[in-house]
Amino acid sequence: MGTASVGCPKCGARVEFDAGSKFVRCSYCASQIYIDRSGAGFYYILPFLVREDNAVGIFKRWAAGPTKAKYLDQRAQLAGSKRQYFPVYMFKRLVDGKELIRVEPAGSTTLPGLHELKVPAGDLKVFDSKYDVGGVPLIQPDIEMGAYLEKLPGAGKEQALVFFPIWTLDYVHDGKRYQVVIDGSSGEVFAADFPKRGSGPYLAVAGVGYFAFLAEALLSYFSPWLAAMLIAVTVVCVFAASLFVAWRM
Amino acid sequence: MPDEALSVGLSCPSCGGAVSIEEGESVINCRYCDSMLFIEGDMGIQTVAFKNKVDPQRAMQAAEAWWKKGFKARDLKKVGKTTEVYPIYLPFWSTTIKVAGWVCGYEEKTRSDSKGNTTTERVYKEVMVLQDHRFSQIACDPGDLGIRSLRNFSGERTFEDFTMIPTFETTSSVDEARKQAEAEAVEQARRGAGVPHITFERIYTVPRKMSVIYYPIWVVRYSYRDRMYVVTVDGVGGQILSGRAPGDPLYQSMAITGGTAVAGLVSGFGLVFATLEAGGSSGYIAIFALAIGAGVLYATYRFFRNGSEIIEGEFQGKRGEIGNPLDVGEILKTLEGFRP
Repeated sequence: MGTASVGCPKCGARVEFDAGSKFVRCSYCASQIYIDRSGAGFYYILPFLVREDNAVGIFKRWAAGPTKAKYLDQRAQLAGSKRQYFPVYMFKRLVDGKELIRVEPAGSTTLPGLHELKVPAGDLKVFDSKYDVGGVPLIQPDIEMGAYLEKLPGAGKEQALVFFPIWTLDYVHDGKRYQVVIDGSSGEVFAADFPKRGSGPYLAVAGVGYFAFLAEALLSYFSPWLAAMLIAVTVVCVFAASLFVAWRM
Repeated sequence: MPDEALSVGLSCPSCGGAVSIEEGESVINCRYCDSMLFIEGDMGIQTVAFKNKVDPQRAMQAAEAWWKKGFKARDLKKVGKTTEVYPIYLPFWSTTIKVAGWVCGYEEKTRSDSKGNTTTERVYKEVMVLQDHRFSQIACDPGDLGIRSLRNFSGERTFEDFTMIPTFETTSSVDEARKQAEAEAVEQARRGAGVPHITFERIYTVPRKMSVIYYPIWVVRYSYRDRMYVVTVDGVGGQILSGRAPGDPLYQSMAITGGTAVAGLVSGFGLVFATLEAGGSSGYIAIFALAIGAGVLYATYRFFRNGSEIIEGEFQGKRGEIGNPLDVGEILKTLEGFRP
């Protein structure tokens, strides 16, 4: 599945072709056919490669990252998850003999990350009535393709509407609601706002430790034994403090 | 969709026989009348695919062996559990560019004698560059896979796995890739010439055809304490290409303890030594010691701050570097800048 078909211009038989191919061979008369996409609009779809339990797991991995609030992965309460297909237009243009690819929004959205507008990595399939979306809702495009076509430079080589899979997870942390979007194909996480982890304690441990050792090295000029003892004490203190910070802060 | 507008039959203009063209070919011979035909317009791009040589078992073993290496969570090998292993084909733009030209300029050498006088000398240089530059770049959005370029260009070529393995399509522009390939080739040639101050250069690039390589890559997803991480494995060689893994607070605190101790003591002893040895170069020694201290402190602080997740590979942002937090070579290279 996930292929489209054309009539062979030589023998008239149906010839199936995939999203990425430019040339196909007719399986009946064996003649080679060039697929000219410049005049038509194609519909493509990227299948989901990330299941729901994986989406939640990816969110937790992201939430445990060093820039997120400590224990966000355990403290964030999931308040809902849904999967959708989000539409973008992909235009291939020929400008001064060079190929130019432009991606434009096809649906208006407030979801984080979808403003960056790209076609995520995935197994592009031709999307037609035969394609089974498995009950996943499609966000319908509310911006016309024609509105862009008029303004784009160069001549059209291909224009397509691409539906790509996203997981939207809502979570609550400290009484505040947040949202992340996970690319359902590669697992990339997008978030506009999230509870952050401060660098203060980390900087404090590093700074205090550095200057303590620096001072002790200077002190060793006057009293090597006292300095050696203090260095040993500082090693233990910095280790304990940094372990506490790394665990808890 | 109107069929007729979409498909174009290809016939020989001389004899009318059907011609057969593979993507990327620009000149062909008609097999009936033998006339030579030049293909105009969108000829497509030559495509190759490497055969997948890795099975799920091997991909999993490679990922699990990777868990034990480096500064990852110590309990990862016990708690980590592989949940999903699947192969994908990723597309890469690939080409070889010949670079030829001349780079002229000079290098400044500063010397100081025992009295503390410094003299700067200009050494003029004229370097010929002639080299091949291998370029590869992922031809779709890399998402969260942490792969941007190819490291291996050899392997058995076949399309036979194409129906079995999900194939990611190219979604970036071939001419954009071409432009980057040329810029990269020129930049590399310029750097290779080793002329710090360039006054004149003329570098030519001889581009070859851009092709697309479909490379098999195994995606291994594993869980660790309810979190889902990902590792990618080279489908030809079986080695790890990129991955994320949980870090360990113990390593983080060991790094910063060692880092502050080394940085503080080196800086302090450097200052003490400089005051004792009140000679011409003592000031430089103090600066050098402080610079080493700063470099060590910075590197270990970064690991301390970000080491709760270990990242290897070409992920977005610079944080990918912390997978190798104690790269002494890098630190020394940074220090070169401070050296008197």
